Amino acid sequence: MGKDGVQSVVGLSAGLESVMSDIYQKSRGEEFGLSRGEFDGVLGEIARKYLPADAVQRDLRDLYISLRAEELALARACAAGQERAWEVFLTRYREKLYDIAGYITKESSAGRELADSIYAELYGTTTRDGQRTSKLASYTGRGSLEGWLRTVMAQEHINRYRKQRRLVSLDEETEEGVQFAVAESEAAIAVDPRVEAATDEVLAALPPEDRFVLASYFLDERTLAEIARTLGVHESTISRKVDKLAKSLRKQILAALGRRGMSRRQAHEALEVDVRDLRVNIRSRLAQESGGAAFSKKKAEAPAGEGS
Amino acid sequence: MAEIPKIVGQRLRAIAEVGEHPDSNLLSAFVERGLGKRERVQVLEHLSQCTSCREIASLSATEVADAAPVVVASPGWTSWPVVRWGAVAACLVVVSAVVTLHHKREPRQMAASIAEVKPATEMLPGPNSAIGKKSASLPLPASNSEAKAGFASKNIASQQKAGPANLEAGNNAAAAPGPVEMADARPSLSQPLSQPEVPGRAKDAFMESQVAQADRTTGGAMAKKRSMLASEVSSDALLPPALIPRWTLSSDGTLQRSLDSGRTWETIPVSNQTTFRALAANGLDIWVGGSGGALFHSSDAGQRWTQVRPVANGEALTDDIIGVEFTDTLHGKLTTSDDESWATADAGQTWQKP
Repeated sequence: MGKDGVQSVVGLSAGLESVMSDIYQKSRGEEFGLSRGEFDGVLGEIARKYLPADAVQRDLRDLYISLRAEELALARACAAGQERAWEVFLTRYREKLYDIAGYITKESSAGRELADSIYAELYGTTTRDGQRTSKLASYTGRGSLEGWLRTVMAQEHINRYRKQRRLVSLDEETEEGVQFAVAESEAAIAVDPRVEAATDEVLAALPPEDRFVLASYFLDERTLAEIARTLGVHESTISRKVDKLAKSLRKQILAALGRRGMSRRQAHEALEVDVRDLRVNIRSRLAQESGGAAFSKKKAEAPAGEGS
Repeated sequence: MAEIPKIVGQRLRAIAEVGEHPDSNLLSAFVERGLGKRERVQVLEHLSQCTSCREIASLSATEVADAAPVVVASPGWTSWPVVRWGAVAACLVVVSAVVTLHHKREPRQMAASIAEVKPATEMLPGPNSAIGKKSASLPLPASNSEAKAGFASKNIASQQKAGPANLEAGNNAAAAPGPVEMADARPSLSQPLSQPEVPGRAKDAFMESQVAQADRTTGGAMAKKRSMLASEVSSDALLPPALIPRWTLSSDGTLQRSLDSGRTWETIPVSNQTTFRALAANGLDIWVGGSGGALFHSSDAGQRWTQVRPVANGEALTDDIIGVEFTDTLHGKLTTSDDESWATADAGQTWQKP
């Protein structure tokens, strides 16, 4: 996510030059109508996006080698309006687009609509300085093109969902039984600042993956299978992790409260106040969070969520 | 369901969304596990604080099978559905033919073998019925390997090439004189695994060589064994050989199996009283453990289950099992809710506690 990026890729060593040449050969860029110069330009742009300014040539080499060269060349050639590239793209991904959209929306007509809309963006309906801009120009080859399409569609789906929810009137919300913020009742509970500080300390000490699992399971109410799929591990691994975290968190918070001068009994009482199951409806939360600063900012910067 | 103090949820929610969102490229690479350690940690750090990105990442994650590289295949005779159903049909024909042939031979072998039952039984490894169990489950790895062959046409081609040599080896084993010891027989049992021109055929070749060998040496005992093995083969044949089952535990602790790469899941009834919390699957061999030290084992992809009661130093396992690991069919380890480890080196016959 390095924003400053590499300032220049001039003065390349012979080794890096050879790697870039090799990647270009593998990318089939020539077949798709993408010249070597254009492809090198794309690589430079990707390096500036992901590497810090002081990156050495070895970092460049590692980054370039890790890219999906063929899919990158295909996407960029499509963005440049090369017909041959579009033929290949449509042969490979047209049906996939509809399949993915159906999977994301769980409904065929909505899926078709989403896929059509994404296809229009991929083809490039928006213009900048009189030129057609294709969304495919933002693909950088870090993951597969199919995975990127899936992510782009997921972002678009969420944006649409929120937009839709904003248009639903309060009456309709009430009729549908959508509940507004549980935050009020939570805010009503006065919490000892020491408990908050102890909890923050314990959470901060957890590895990011553990915090992700906790948030996904207890806040978003995702299933173990969904979390496992996102992390690419077996469901039982997540099951064990959730159990272990639930047990250890309590112990660690009690210990942290002890370090803050609470007696064992006081610490237990402070936690016992509201040891309850956490159930938050992710859908209503998403609807309520429609004004979330960071995500809105992202949307403003790049329409389907190209955040950086 | 595990619970956490409510304050933890409040503080998790209170953590501000800081920094910029990872772009679609990074999120998709994260889901595909294509990021380096540094970037993966950065993305995880953000995801742990950002509901929106968690939602996107979750929607982006699909089954591995769906995320496989796109191959533009020309439809026609060699298309996958045709090959798959053709293989299943061929399998059923071969199995039914073998079962019919065995029925015809049965009376002759029964008459010739009664006197030799006892010595043959003595040949079988004694209390280590693990090996005995292994023999019952021997055809299973065959279907495992066939399944792989079914998925990869290259494998089929290479195995077809290797076929004649393996068949010859199988015949040699069948012709070898002398008493049969199951341990000695095992290497030759694996020979037919690499010659499945038609899925299921390897099982039959294996069965026939076993039967021939048994007839020459042990007669009646193996004739009995043969009928058992035949029933094993026929019941295994119920499972389409091209499908390796996938397993998962639902959030309420029931065991589920998928025979179609995770598209649909069926609940496998093992025990009503147990909440399962850990499983280990190795081909068609599956172990599942849960509350109160309940441990169940199936060596046929969940069609039959045996409850295993681990006892070490005279003490039975009663704590919840939260981890099950089996490196092969014999060696395994259990982890309990009290952080104890129980190990077995004989498929659960005996257990040790360090």
